[in-house]
Amino acid sequence: MTRTMTGLLTSIALVPCAAAAQGQLNLYNWGDYINPAVLERFTDETGIEVTLDTYGSNEEMLAKIQAGATGYDIVFPSVHMHDIMFQLGLLAETDIGSHPDFDNIDPQFVRAQTDPDAEYCLPYAWGNVGIVYNKALAGDISGWSDFFALGEDGKKIILLDDLRETIGIGHIMNGTSVNSTDETEVEAAAQYVIDHVDGVSAFSYDSIPLVQSGDVAAAHWYVGANIFVQEAPDTLGYIIPEEGATMYQEDMCVLESAPNKENAIRFLEFYLQPEIAALNVEQQLNGTPNVPALDLIPGRIADNPTIYPPQDMIDKLQIFTDLGRDLQLYNREWTRIKTAQ
Amino acid sequence: MLKRRKTLALLALLGAPTAFLLVFFMGPLVIMAIYSWLTPGLYGGVEWELFHLNYGRILGWANTRYDQFDPVYLTIFLRSLRLAALTVLSALVICYPAAFWISRMRPARRNLALFAITLPFFVSLIVRLFAWVLILRPTGFLNQALMGLGLIETPLEIIYTDAAVIIGMTYIFIPFMFLPLYASVEKLDPALIEASGDLGATRLQTFLRVILPATAPGIAAGAVITFIPALGNFIVPSVLGGAKVLMIGNLIEQQFLSARNWPFGAALAMLLMAGVLILLMAQLRLARAAQGEPRR
Repeated sequence: MTRTMTGLLTSIALVPCAAAAQGQLNLYNWGDYINPAVLERFTDETGIEVTLDTYGSNEEMLAKIQAGATGYDIVFPSVHMHDIMFQLGLLAETDIGSHPDFDNIDPQFVRAQTDPDAEYCLPYAWGNVGIVYNKALAGDISGWSDFFALGEDGKKIILLDDLRETIGIGHIMNGTSVNSTDETEVEAAAQYVIDHVDGVSAFSYDSIPLVQSGDVAAAHWYVGANIFVQEAPDTLGYIIPEEGATMYQEDMCVLESAPNKENAIRFLEFYLQPEIAALNVEQQLNGTPNVPALDLIPGRIADNPTIYPPQDMIDKLQIFTDLGRDLQLYNREWTRIKTAQ
Repeated sequence: MLKRRKTLALLALLGAPTAFLLVFFMGPLVIMAIYSWLTPGLYGGVEWELFHLNYGRILGWANTRYDQFDPVYLTIFLRSLRLAALTVLSALVICYPAAFWISRMRPARRNLALFAITLPFFVSLIVRLFAWVLILRPTGFLNQALMGLGLIETPLEIIYTDAAVIIGMTYIFIPFMFLPLYASVEKLDPALIEASGDLGATRLQTFLRVILPATAPGIAAGAVITFIPALGNFIVPSVLGGAKVLMIGNLIEQQFLSARNWPFGAALAMLLMAGVLILLMAQLRLARAAQGEPRR
């Protein structure tokens, strides 16, 4: 998964030449978060033209939808945002959970508290947030302590420009929950980051080229970094930190304001097919909740422990929940982190 | 009768742009001003309940679980002021001599030079800023060139510092500074300079007593239209400052997006605007005082 600035700035329209136009489907997704081949296949099979706009964060998407952006049919919120959007009445009921093919979905991925029977959204993809590093500069690193030790050695590291992810590292190192709403725990977690901020040269999503060129030794990044590791295995590496890490999961949701609801539900059903989920993973190199798809995924992906980690590592992955008003505790600390130097 | 018809026509003509400005310029400002006094909604937006702690957080009287006074916001204001002022200064240092040079070129070359200065506008800002990342990073063009020439031994730490932000902002605001400067430099009558020399003024005296006052309006205009967008800029600090050089624009953006606290963002924006207005009025006053000063 590549959550880059491009999400903020580009909006690509994919308009494949379909046989006969059977209507439209407008996706609003994270940047580079779906294999274009999946969309082409959908258009080939149904004749429905697909357009794709992208965003860079859950909040950006929510702000846009709340501000009244219409025309989008499907969005891809993270689980906690799925809950928020449900509570705000922005999602349409799809009954995707009652579709016979829904048996393909591993039930542990139906995570949203507000949607326990998947009456609204389809679990789409998941992954962890770890460390991508330059092998020559970082050597063999295995976790967050090694990562911050690089900074203390005078090498450069980059953290994500994301308040929950970054303060989350502090929580993991302090042994507190990444969803803590205890003021002293949040402050302590932020303090951990502040205490190690000297080696942090930036907070950015666009760190991979700098890791590759050796400008920085390592960066906090998503499992999607494996796409780049695969292209330059001698230079780059990706790990899930041994101390633990966060994970994310996005769900595919149909908007209440969707102009093409039927086509949108059709896309959800289309995506239930194991071949389609596998086709997406082949390019995205991330986790799918679709169990039979796992048998169709190439071995180099299915056997990669940073993409499909063993159970004891999965147990160390924490997922963000919605904090409501308590997000403001993190907001305050985040400003403190960004001005501490 | 005829006069009345003219007045009506004028009203009709001016009415449309006035209405446009009222709706699309004043409207958003009024919304922001109102939002800054409301309670933050749980998931962005506002709840229609009066709330003064958005300002209390910045100015000193807030002390609740979610809204606490923190001097860090004023620090960020001051830092933004400093970076914007340095941007104006460095743009001026580059553009002032360039304006003289270009104004004395042959017309064909002059047009080419003017075109070259506006050329960057034709390329997306983001693309240009990422090009600066490639130039400034440790293994980038600048450091490689300097190391190749033997001028430095270890790469300069420029990227993700204040310096990178100033370089980036200077770069994007050069046309803003240059065009008003050029307009006033071009109008400068060379005869005045000759006369000043003939009357025995030294070069420095000519510059300080003749050239500088004559081009002062251009300097002031360039400084103002560079300073204001530089002060609120958030894309340069985010790309070239690595989001570590936090400016007020970044702080406001953070409130509207990741922090989902629109009223606090609105309050910050209102105070930023108030600060800019105060500075502008001070500048206006100084300019008037300077003009009113009797020349010896």
